Amino acid sequence: MVSKFGIVALAACLAAAAASPAWSHHSFAMFDKAKQVTLEGTVKDFQYSNPHSWIQLVVMTPAGAEEEWTIEALSPNVLSRSGWKRTSLVPGQKVTLLIYPMRDGSHGGNLISVTLPDGSTLGGGAG
Amino acid sequence: MARLKTNALGCAAALAFCVVAAASAGAQYPAKSEKQAAPTPARLPDGNPNWTGFWTPVGGILDRDFGPGFKPRAPGAPNPARAPAASRELLKSPYKEKYEQIQKDTADGKVTYDDAALCLPPGMPRMMGATYGLEILQTPGQVTMTSEYQAESRRIWLDGRKHPRDEDALPTYAGHSIGHWEGDVLVVDTVQTRGDLVIDATRLPQSLSMHLTERFSAPQPGILQDDITVDDPIVYEKPWTMTKRYRYRPDLNLEEYVCEDNNRNVSPTGAPSFK
Repeated sequence: MVSKFGIVALAACLAAAAASPAWSHHSFAMFDKAKQVTLEGTVKDFQYSNPHSWIQLVVMTPAGAEEEWTIEALSPNVLSRSGWKRTSLVPGQKVTLLIYPMRDGSHGGNLISVTLPDGSTLGGGAG
Repeated sequence: MARLKTNALGCAAALAFCVVAAASAGAQYPAKSEKQAAPTPARLPDGNPNWTGFWTPVGGILDRDFGPGFKPRAPGAPNPARAPAASRELLKSPYKEKYEQIQKDTADGKVTYDDAALCLPPGMPRMMGATYGLEILQTPGQVTMTSEYQAESRRIWLDGRKHPRDEDALPTYAGHSIGHWEGDVLVVDTVQTRGDLVIDATRLPQSLSMHLTERFSAPQPGILQDDITVDDPIVYEKPWTMTKRYRYRPDLNLEEYVCEDNNRNVSPTGAPSFK
């Protein structure tokens, strides 16, 4: 019973956080912050730009089909102050992304972090 | 049973953290480092405090360790760019109903109109939330503040001029600001802001009649505080005050932010899109 209360209260707490727009120029209500998805794929394009950065990632489905995902990250003024460089991601690179997915199920999300081929991790600023 | 207990404890701990984080909103300015830098010299040749330099909001994104291992903001943790929740209780009809509908839509995951998504500047007082940082320049008769977010600037005139007459003035994003020193406190009076702006990202409204009074002070070296009183009798039952705090960051400088460069979030409806 205590456990149930705890979960309900925590859920309410998380819902309040989800309603808070992130540090950005637009609402992030389109992303589902109750879920985290891990994507392994190949970088097709990295747009290190304002007002947001974008990663186009090609993911291979279990059936062997290619699926392109669009992932939104924060702006260079924030990312550069936390170790990112224009060349942190390059086309052809195999990376693992942790994202908050789109609520509508489309192939997109908000970047939480990226793990590079050398095993190092960069934060995407989600939250 | 042991597992259930662990879960219950974990949830209780998380809940306690959530409550504590929410309750402590804005109560402290946790030190980024043990030694807080402050502008030098401490005073300008005219004897007034020297606040020239780059400042970041206390508790803001550049105030946190944001490198590898970055953790998302804790649930319920304060967002320094927000107006205090108590201000919402003062909303008059029909602003109150409209505001509540926006909060409900946001909670339901609906994406609503946001002028910021169209790269329009926040204006006053939202720009003092200064998402990333604030550059302050003091020159004789003038203080210039530029928020890194959208490179939006405001000028505070200290040369004794008055506000333009309302019938002559074009309302602007930053409004018209005049100021004077009361000891080491800079008092700023702002009028003639646009009526279609919002006070924070929750879309807390303001009107053409809004009058802002700010009191800038340094509660400790290297920390700047802006107490902003919002007097808008069209929208609110009575005036209310919000406090912004900034940390002096000589290790950083204002970076370029051109929102129009690659704005993939534009949609014809003004709601941010995703593609």
